[in-house]
Amino acid sequence: MIAIENVTKQYGRTVAVSDLTMVVGDGELCVLIGPSGCGKTTTLRMINRLVEPTDGRIVINGSDNRTSRPETLRRSIGYAIQSVGLFPHMTVEQNIGAVPSILGWERTAIAKRGRELLELVGLDPDAYAAKYPSELSGGEAQRIGVARALAADPPILLMDEPFGAVDPLTREMLQRQFMEIQTRLKKTIVLVTHDLDEAIRMADKVAVMRSGSLVQYDTPEMLLSQPADSFVRDFVGADRALKRLSRIPVTTLMKPAKCIKRGELSRTDCTRALPRYVWVVDGEGRLLGWTDTTQGPPTESWRMDEKELDRVSVRDTASLREALSHMLGQGVRSVPVISTDRRLLGEVTLRDIEEATVE
Amino acid sequence: MPAEPNVSHAKPRCSCVALLGTALGVLSLALPWLTLRTSRLAAGEGVLLWDVAGPAVVAVVALGWFAALVSSFDANTQRRALTLGVCGTLLAPLTLLIAGSGSTSLLSSAEEFARSSLGPGIWVGLIATYVLLHTARQSLGAQPFLRNVFTWAPLATIVAIGMTGAYNDLSLAREFSGNESRFAQEALTHIALSLGSVAIGACIAVPLGIAATRSRRAERPIFIIASAIETIPSLALFGLIIAPLSALSYAYPALREAGIRGVGITPALIALVLYSLLPIVHNTYVGLKEVSPAAMDAGRGMGMSRAQLARRVEFPLAAPLIAEGVRTASVQSIGNTAVAALIGAGGLGHFIFQGLGQAAPDLILLGALPVIALALLVDIIMRAAIAALTPRGMHTEATT
Repeated sequence: MIAIENVTKQYGRTVAVSDLTMVVGDGELCVLIGPSGCGKTTTLRMINRLVEPTDGRIVINGSDNRTSRPETLRRSIGYAIQSVGLFPHMTVEQNIGAVPSILGWERTAIAKRGRELLELVGLDPDAYAAKYPSELSGGEAQRIGVARALAADPPILLMDEPFGAVDPLTREMLQRQFMEIQTRLKKTIVLVTHDLDEAIRMADKVAVMRSGSLVQYDTPEMLLSQPADSFVRDFVGADRALKRLSRIPVTTLMKPAKCIKRGELSRTDCTRALPRYVWVVDGEGRLLGWTDTTQGPPTESWRMDEKELDRVSVRDTASLREALSHMLGQGVRSVPVISTDRRLLGEVTLRDIEEATVE
Repeated sequence: MPAEPNVSHAKPRCSCVALLGTALGVLSLALPWLTLRTSRLAAGEGVLLWDVAGPAVVAVVALGWFAALVSSFDANTQRRALTLGVCGTLLAPLTLLIAGSGSTSLLSSAEEFARSSLGPGIWVGLIATYVLLHTARQSLGAQPFLRNVFTWAPLATIVAIGMTGAYNDLSLAREFSGNESRFAQEALTHIALSLGSVAIGACIAVPLGIAATRSRRAERPIFIIASAIETIPSLALFGLIIAPLSALSYAYPALREAGIRGVGITPALIALVLYSLLPIVHNTYVGLKEVSPAAMDAGRGMGMSRAQLARRVEFPLAAPLIAEGVRTASVQSIGNTAVAALIGAGGLGHFIFQGLGQAAPDLILLGALPVIALALLVDIIMRAAIAALTPRGMHTEATT
């Protein structure tokens, strides 16, 4: 647990953080957000004493963070930053092993841990361990940055825009992957961002800051449905209803979908009570596409193009916002939900989403 | 691979540089190849290529340059590079071999103290072969093996021919054999003085460079002084140091007994050390300043102490640039050490100034050529060492 108690930071006359008090619970992912210069990064850096507060104190797991030397403190807290800051003269493995090596781990233990972490962040250890940072893409570098922060298995992780410097697609992929890691590891995380979507997608709690003060500290749902004041309302934006959808997984509104098995449909069936458009699956229940039943039954080998299929369906890990965006993009009123192995799990309809947002 | 230009709209290109080299080569045929003097100090008369070499040899040389001329117009880059490389590799040793054997035949029919020196034709011819080899190596960028062949094969052949004693009748070789023991001694002095001063200079300059990055207050004075030293001509600096040093050595006899006097090794060493400061201070400063702030922040954030940060991140990242500074200082110092002979410090400059005093051009060359060779050698060795010691990750960063 991280307790920030009446912390103030002044640079000369400028007040960067003023009388900030907040608590981040164990295993929680807390996002600090706000316009630039609001003091979010300063707050983050005061936790591991890269910045010393002018007043107040920060208590980590029951003890004041000034009781041990700053270096000792920092070695027990993971740290990942936007510019990643990988050491260019070290291999990926050496980069990940930086903290363990300071802590004096055995060489073999460091190597083993490096491979473990590469696997954790979804990179093949054999291919990546010996690479140098200059040989990595932006997304790969940021993953290594996260792996490095996790190296000594610190209970706390501080992240300053850790997914900032990559394109939106990669960013979303990294965020999703990181959330999968977080559900397993349950670290206490403080993450700074200026990207509201990122905050809403990832946070257990969001702290909105403005000119060094905390304006609202709440769950993303509360932040979106009950903004504390006009500043927060403006900050979360007019599309906050839409943003709320991104917090809700598609599975919550998913219903069984009408589907037919390929090859198990005769011409007479088509004229019967089936709806005009139905999903078609194969023998194992994998989605093959949709068909217009008035055109007669699909042939034995019929299937939709894979890319086309990706466009009309969503994964079960997607949010309602993605499902909605699919429907609007395709001009359809329902979208099938599929599992990793493309099995059809059900469908989400536009009407259900409407009802869910109105309540 | 880029497309061959024969189908494109571009005109088939000849190599202008190769053409220039060939022109020089052809010009060299018309210039005197050797200079014959009645004694080592007398004025000389030029001797043309066909006066010292038989028609067959002249034909071979002319054919070589003709081949280079033709291939300069070759649009096929690979074939052009190969032809030029082969021409250069054969012509360079051949030119020197003709100079050596030509001298032998000239001297056999001349008076006892006669000397035969390299004439303008040889120099221009050697420069021309260098241009050919250089062009060839440039176009062979992606083929390191051939590049190396065209660098080392001509050099090795020239040295191998030298081992047989073929050049012994050249005046330069005569000067060498007349000064053989002195030469070895002065060459060693030269190396010790120039590289020793850089070693001492590095010990002073690296801490100064660090100080300049750490403290705003120190930064300006350090650079002002180091740059000011660099602007003083070397001769003037040597002179400037003599006066205070002799005063000191007068005032403290202990210093004099320790061999510290106004002239000799000490003032030369001091001046050379001072000269080596700026390149090393500058590169240390730039090297440290260029260390990525993100890497430093990450290092600090993960709990590295100041010493660990310096040892594990800052210095490894700055090291290649610092080493570059040492290389620059070394090459510069080898040249400056030649001047140090004037204040009695010895070194290869001794022959240069003695030669100047006696108006003996080949004695000047005996000092000057090894200084150039030494500078080139140190440059090549240090470049290779820096490249070998720079971690792979930083190479790719530098080239992309």
